[in-house]
Amino acid sequence: MQIEYQTQRLSLRFFMLMLVLFLVQVGYGLILATQQVDPTLLRGVLNFNVVRAEHLNLGILWILTGFIGAILFVGPLLSKREMVTPWLIKLLFYALIVIVVWNFFTLRLAQQGIAGWWEGQPWLQQGLEYLEPGRIAGILVLIGFAILAYVVLRTFPAMREWNEIHWGLGIGVFALMAVWMFGLFYVERLDLQEYFRWFVVHYWVEGIWEVIHITLVGYLLVLMFKADVKSVGFAVFWGVTLVWLSGLLGNAHHYFWIGTPAFWQFWGSLFSALEPLPLVFCFWHIYLDAHQNRRPLENAPAFYFILGSVVLEQIGAGILGFSMTFSLTNVWSHGTWVTPGHAHLALFGTFGMLGIAAAYYAVPIIRKVPDYDQRLGKLGFWLVLTGVLGLGFTFVLGGVVQIFVYRTLGLHWFGGDVFPAMGLFKLLLPVFGLVFAVGAGVLAFDLFTLGRRVRAPTTTDSRTALTDAVHGDAADPRSTSGWSRALTGFEAGIWLMMMWVFGAIITLGLLSFNLPRVRVLGDPTLPYLLAGVGYPGLLLVTLAFVSRFLTSLEARASAPMAERPT
Amino acid sequence: MSCGNGNDCDEVGRRRMALVVLGIMTLVFIVLSGLSFLKSRGQVTPDTVSFGSYKAADGKRVFQAYNCMGCHTMVGNGAYLGPDLTREYERAGPAWLAAFLASAGSWPTEAAVRTQLLNHDQLADTGTDSIESYLKKFPGAAVRIERRGGSTSFMPNLPFREGEVGQLIAFLKYTSAMNTEGWPPKVEVEGLDKRLLLAHGANTVAHATPAPAAGKADTAPADPAAHGAQLVKQYGCTACHSPDRKRLVGPGWGGLYGSQVKLADGSTVTANDAYLIESIIKPNAKIVAGYPSSVMPGSFGKLLKDDEISAIVAYIHSLEKQ
Repeated sequence: MQIEYQTQRLSLRFFMLMLVLFLVQVGYGLILATQQVDPTLLRGVLNFNVVRAEHLNLGILWILTGFIGAILFVGPLLSKREMVTPWLIKLLFYALIVIVVWNFFTLRLAQQGIAGWWEGQPWLQQGLEYLEPGRIAGILVLIGFAILAYVVLRTFPAMREWNEIHWGLGIGVFALMAVWMFGLFYVERLDLQEYFRWFVVHYWVEGIWEVIHITLVGYLLVLMFKADVKSVGFAVFWGVTLVWLSGLLGNAHHYFWIGTPAFWQFWGSLFSALEPLPLVFCFWHIYLDAHQNRRPLENAPAFYFILGSVVLEQIGAGILGFSMTFSLTNVWSHGTWVTPGHAHLALFGTFGMLGIAAAYYAVPIIRKVPDYDQRLGKLGFWLVLTGVLGLGFTFVLGGVVQIFVYRTLGLHWFGGDVFPAMGLFKLLLPVFGLVFAVGAGVLAFDLFTLGRRVRAPTTTDSRTALTDAVHGDAADPRSTSGWSRALTGFEAGIWLMMMWVFGAIITLGLLSFNLPRVRVLGDPTLPYLLAGVGYPGLLLVTLAFVSRFLTSLEARASAPMAERPT
Repeated sequence: MSCGNGNDCDEVGRRRMALVVLGIMTLVFIVLSGLSFLKSRGQVTPDTVSFGSYKAADGKRVFQAYNCMGCHTMVGNGAYLGPDLTREYERAGPAWLAAFLASAGSWPTEAAVRTQLLNHDQLADTGTDSIESYLKKFPGAAVRIERRGGSTSFMPNLPFREGEVGQLIAFLKYTSAMNTEGWPPKVEVEGLDKRLLLAHGANTVAHATPAPAAGKADTAPADPAAHGAQLVKQYGCTACHSPDRKRLVGPGWGGLYGSQVKLADGSTVTANDAYLIESIIKPNAKIVAGYPSSVMPGSFGKLLKDDEISAIVAYIHSLEKQ
């Protein structure tokens, strides 16, 4: 495949910016992990709250940058014409850089307690989780979203010609802007402020980002596997519908303890328990679409990251989210390390990996190196997957200890009681952080230099070479049996079920904190046992499933196949 | 589930049905949201809460300006480096908070909390100036003083401006009064000793509970400088004043004695006995250039006897010689 429209090339700079921001964010993450071990590190110079504000803010910005890159790349293909007003897109690019630099200087004002109050609004920074930047940055971001929505909607064909993918992206880019506005005013009441803050955070992530995610995954599968647009469109339609039907009232799971009435506990527990449905649906479709025809995998890293995105969405957003979405489990997990375990897997996993997947799909096409060396990309994938799974599971396991010491025993001296109990997990954070950072470095280096490196002189194409290396001789009959035999729908279903069995164990573990034996007698055996089985079990099943899926796909390249293109 | 086989999927009909269901759900959400913020619910609002002359609404701005949520959680939302702050006022009370926030780098001793109680805002809010009844009213403060008092904390010293500590206390008073539907869950395991044993195991508990030395020094050493060194520890002075030249919250003491001090009004004084004694008794009389006023409590004159003040001055004098 090659570039059909010149404006598709504009996506390249967004992908590169995305990788730079990603690396900086990972750097901040490493500082945070080290500060968790030693909170006095950089104290007074770069306090934890400033580093965390940057970490969250850049996390949002690079994911959005990746979305923009992906949308710009597929936009002309969907519209069958060039993007309109390329100068606006270039302006958007520079605006993003200005926002990042501006945030770098304003977020650290929190150390001096400067918010820039004027006319009742904090203009420089506002100290709210996920919405740390002040009004000036907020308005700049709003303008950026307006530009994106304008460019995409003007480029698309007339509305009566839209298919589901147009609808998904069109609604996505418009709603990004609309929902952002709920974060642009100061609210005096704490309960009301939290109520509106979750409008932005929850509806972005579980309403809009997820719509963009489903749509982009669907369309990338159309491009990569020549999957049927009609069938993918049907999946996108039902995916989006399920996301909204469950997510709209699912937002109530943020309204359990913020000072809003108890009836939210009923609505939130009921509807957000349904939130994994679209994710299971999406998971199933990636299986179907990837296996619809038996083409060999042309661009392995791109598909690796799409699969990673869908699987981590299932694990992080689906299963870990499900386990703490009931008021009876959430009352324990709320405000502990169990939450960032879910957040890291769901945010980086689902949305971050999709941006990287889109970059791996688009960059070789734009740089005209369709048969690039894919080894670094695969290595980077396994490193970030292991790293982020390790981080996530360190957080949740440490979180279970934290629940016991902090909530059940009521010991609130973090330095004296809570930290020592969580010691092991505190130490594991920078370890997995380092694995993740190395992976991020590898894949960023790979994408920066892709097509510019001097390639090793090989007679066979690198894809086959690697498959040979992994599976021995290409003609080896083992390549279509054992771990690399084709993945049937039945087997994929068993894998999915195993994940949910461990998910159920995890949920029961959190639920068991309600038992008098734990709560009154202070015996943590049952929750520790269930967490000790559930979380590592889920981690291993996830790694094994990804490995199984990818090996079966890799094997297609070596298996003698009638459809194999010459 | 696929519609790719040429079947008639009735897409228009399904889309319409999905939209109708979504519309009903939006309606439910709007109704529930409206009910959540009705006045009749009786949820406390910040405009009704104050601590002395400080308003909770102003405190919320201070809370956001310092991005407290970037390390702590509030109603469970935020970061998880430090403890949740929702019920801190209820647990530790305003005097402990005032003693801690002004110099967050170390945990307040009993003397530091007693000092705060002399403040008239504290008297009005807690209804007592006796440390015994304060600790009875806020048992969390008693445990904190006993277990952590005088040791260093992980929190950075924050450069609070005049009044900001009071405003923060007002905000925390507001959040303590909020009805959060039973969160955080009530602790039902009885007895601190048992809980410590469960958390740390038998071997470590002895070490985890530091000897409660604060405020209980009966034997005053003969050497005034050594006595002074003991007093500055007891009264938590070192939380704000470092023994060297470093700036913490207030000026450092190293080499201070006998030096020329530039004041905020532009004049210069010599740091002799008279100046140091005055600065302890009336901290706002002569403010050093570059430091805010009204940060140091004005109550040490009442708390300390004359010979104790002289001992502290002697201690500061001794720091010059090192």
